[in-house]
Amino acid sequence: MESLAGIEKIVALVGAVVVGVFAVISLKGEWNKTGLDDHVTKLLLGLMAFGCILVLLAAFGILPRGGGA
Amino acid sequence: MAVSVAKQGYHLGHHDEHDANHDEVIYRETRDMRLTGFVLFLGTDVVLFSAFIFAYVYLRTSIAPVWPPMVDGHQLPRLDTAFAAVNSVVLFGSGVTMHYALEAWKHALKRRFNLFMALTILLGAGFLGGQAYEYAHARIGGWSGNTFGASFFTLTGMHGLHVFIGVWFLIALWIQTSRGVYDDHRFFGLTAGTLYWHFVDVIWVVLFFLFYLW
Amino acid sequence: MATLAPGVQTGPYHAVLDHIHPEPTSFIRKYIFSIDHKIIGIQYMITGAVFFIISGLLAEIIRTQLLTPNGLLVRPDTYNSIYSMHGSSMVWFVVIPLLTGAFGNFVMPLQIGARDVAFPWLNLVAFWIFPVAGVILFSSFLVGAPDAGWTEYPPISLMGPPGTNLWCIAVFMIGISSTMTGINFLVTILKMRAPGMTLTRMPLFVWAQFATTPLSFIATTALGGALAALFIERVFGVPFYDPKRGGSPLLWQHMFWFYSHPAVYIMIIPGFGIISEVLPTFARKPIFGYKMIAFSSVAIALLSFSVWAHHMFTSGMVPWLQLPFMIITMLIAIPTGVKIFSWMATLWGGAIRWKTPALYAAGFIITFTYGGLTGFFLAAVPLDYHEHGTYFVVAHLHYVLYGGSIMSLFAGAYYWWPKMSGRMYNETLGRIQFWMVFIGFNCTFTPLHWLGLLGMPRRVPNYDPSYQFWNVFASVSSYVMALGTLLFFYILVDSFRNGKKAGPNPWGARTLEWMIASPPPYYNFKKIPAVLAAPYDFGNPLPYIGLDAADGAVEATPTHSSHPVPTH
Ligand code: HEM
Ligand SMILES: [Cu+2]
Repeated sequence: MESLAGIEKIVALVGAVVVGVFAVISLKGEWNKTGLDDHVTKLLLGLMAFGCILVLLAAFGILPRGGGA
Repeated sequence: MAVSVAKQGYHLGHHDEHDANHDEVIYRETRDMRLTGFVLFLGTDVVLFSAFIFAYVYLRTSIAPVWPPMVDGHQLPRLDTAFAAVNSVVLFGSGVTMHYALEAWKHALKRRFNLFMALTILLGAGFLGGQAYEYAHARIGGWSGNTFGASFFTLTGMHGLHVFIGVWFLIALWIQTSRGVYDDHRFFGLTAGTLYWHFVDVIWVVLFFLFYLW
Repeated sequence: MATLAPGVQTGPYHAVLDHIHPEPTSFIRKYIFSIDHKIIGIQYMITGAVFFIISGLLAEIIRTQLLTPNGLLVRPDTYNSIYSMHGSSMVWFVVIPLLTGAFGNFVMPLQIGARDVAFPWLNLVAFWIFPVAGVILFSSFLVGAPDAGWTEYPPISLMGPPGTNLWCIAVFMIGISSTMTGINFLVTILKMRAPGMTLTRMPLFVWAQFATTPLSFIATTALGGALAALFIERVFGVPFYDPKRGGSPLLWQHMFWFYSHPAVYIMIIPGFGIISEVLPTFARKPIFGYKMIAFSSVAIALLSFSVWAHHMFTSGMVPWLQLPFMIITMLIAIPTGVKIFSWMATLWGGAIRWKTPALYAAGFIITFTYGGLTGFFLAAVPLDYHEHGTYFVVAHLHYVLYGGSIMSLFAGAYYWWPKMSGRMYNETLGRIQFWMVFIGFNCTFTPLHWLGLLGMPRRVPNYDPSYQFWNVFASVSSYVMALGTLLFFYILVDSFRNGKKAGPNPWGARTLEWMIASPPPYYNFKKIPAVLAAPYDFGNPLPYIGLDAADGAVEATPTHSSHPVPTH
């Protein structure tokens, strides 16, 4: 079980980096657009990038405090 | 005063011109209204989730003496963070691919659009599969066992339902595109679908934090 | 666009605003599944009136029960269901749909110079949810109606009869309907105003609807969450509220009042709007403090999200939170007071024509102020310890909801009836009707304050014999009020049969809906006008250009005001 969790964490780590990078690139592409849909998209992409950071924290075992399963 | 009226683009006496632009103006204004309405709808959905999130936070912080709660003298286990992390990446990834699909559509890159659409739908379905696995393995006493199970299964269930609807929404949009409903500058359905999909992802960011990282 | 009626013109300046649906031809599309905001508004009105009569009958059962200390009419458990259904139905199926769905739909698009709302089909769906939900609500009587009050506090509501599930479904559905209407109206007001109608040129009724929309779709959705949780707890045993299983009844109270306090403003802000239309028209004076009235609605709407716990002072909430909730609650009285002040200043020195709508508007100011004052008492924590759960609260809420919301509905009904039906009503009967309702109402509910202060608890089917005199007094007065309500419906029937033709502008009012024929044609405006100013400058020429007004509409507006303003 431990090793499975280890593999999962590595997959999550790599995935979060890749997805996060593309999310930020997309965000940059949207940055100067001004329609209502663009503003909402920026907000949502930003939060998605934040989600990737959360995944990284989980992969490094920083959150949840005390490790988790 | 006449000036302020002229600024509004109002012309007395100009009424029966149906210039070629007329349809375009109608489209632009209609799209604008639908978009505003759709964003407001997403806002109400945020409130719906917030209500249940409030319930969870309240029950966890103000009512339960320990968290995860005790059942029959034993504390319930935490949820499996590592697995959920992978599943989260799958869902966030689908958000990015959806964004690229829409961009491809805007640039009339039909094949690229199809590719990213397929990826998005696959990833979305993958997330749902992961969620099903998670449900089968979460040992927190089921939906109606205790307040942990109640808030976890209700919130993630609502979210899962949104993803499920989202997948079908995307499939429907995809079929529409192949039937030529949209062109590369009139594609409000795709915009709405993308916003909806991003929204569903972002709800997951919050749920992931609240249930797995907190 | 081939099907335009003769003389109807469209212009290139604002395409959507100018768009006209072809006139429906079949009866069903015209009157049943119509997408015309005016028809939908009238459908809301009829449906709301039906529920009003039913819930009014329930109220009279309550009052009749309380004629004797031991309860005259029904068994105690039936009594519980009756007051629960009375409150639920009045709040969700009468006042809210009438103020937003009915008057909002009929009047608001006309006032902004639009041909319909932004999403006519959504409007149709939102309307049809309403009667269906109402039938579901009332069918709960067949399986055991909910019996924990309109607030349905757990754990009692968890133990309530099966009808409680139907209650959850019905209120959830009506919530979806208000959410749709809220979004629809907000987009309509933001995007479909006639050219030149800036926000501060909007009629005050439009401002009121505008301020109400966020309440309708934010607060209502939160209630939807609470209801869904109650439903799944009752049906599937999923613990949220049951204290024996780690849940919390306080959780429900927080979620419920987070909705229901804003909801009381859903039930009054549009009423403020109606009053703000009626007063200047009948005082023939510019409304005093246009901007203050407009902005205070928005201020009230925003503040209303932060006061919900004033309903929970005795619920065992953390004590340090009581003080901020008390203070913010009292702060709301400021924008409310600003409005009352502005209305009084509008009436001041005006040549008031005391037609029925004006009577109702004046009655509204009196009774609503009174209700606001008792609210102030209730908001004071130490006083609330004494008053909570007594008839004092009942008296307060009826002063604001009957004396406020329902009176404003009557004012609006008389005011816009000629526009809706094309006919005048009988003014003498209207005035008699007002006095019956006004006197009946005050005599019913004033004594309840005293009973409450003496300690008579609400929601109990019997009482100490020492309370009997004022209970009998209240019950008898409530019959007068009920007769007054029936008289109202008679007046409408009478107007249909014998009413004079109203003409486009019987009151000499200045907002756009009075510039077109009564009843308005399906396309509303032959030509969308441009708007140069807010509509209340009595004595000045009308601030519209390019308006193809109905015959006599413009001439009916007075060229003199009882309080002339300098022309700018
Ligand atoms: C100056 C404004 C107001 C203040 C300060 C105020 C304050 C309060 C307070 C503190 C309570 C709780 C009493 C208790 O349960 O112990 C209450 C109850 C209530 N108020 Fe108001 N109120 C105001 C205006 C309104 C308005 C405008 C409405 C509706 C149109 C309204 C409707 C109600 C209702 C329905 C209840 C009773 C809820 C129940 O069934 O328990 N109030 N008010
Ligand atoms: Cu309140």
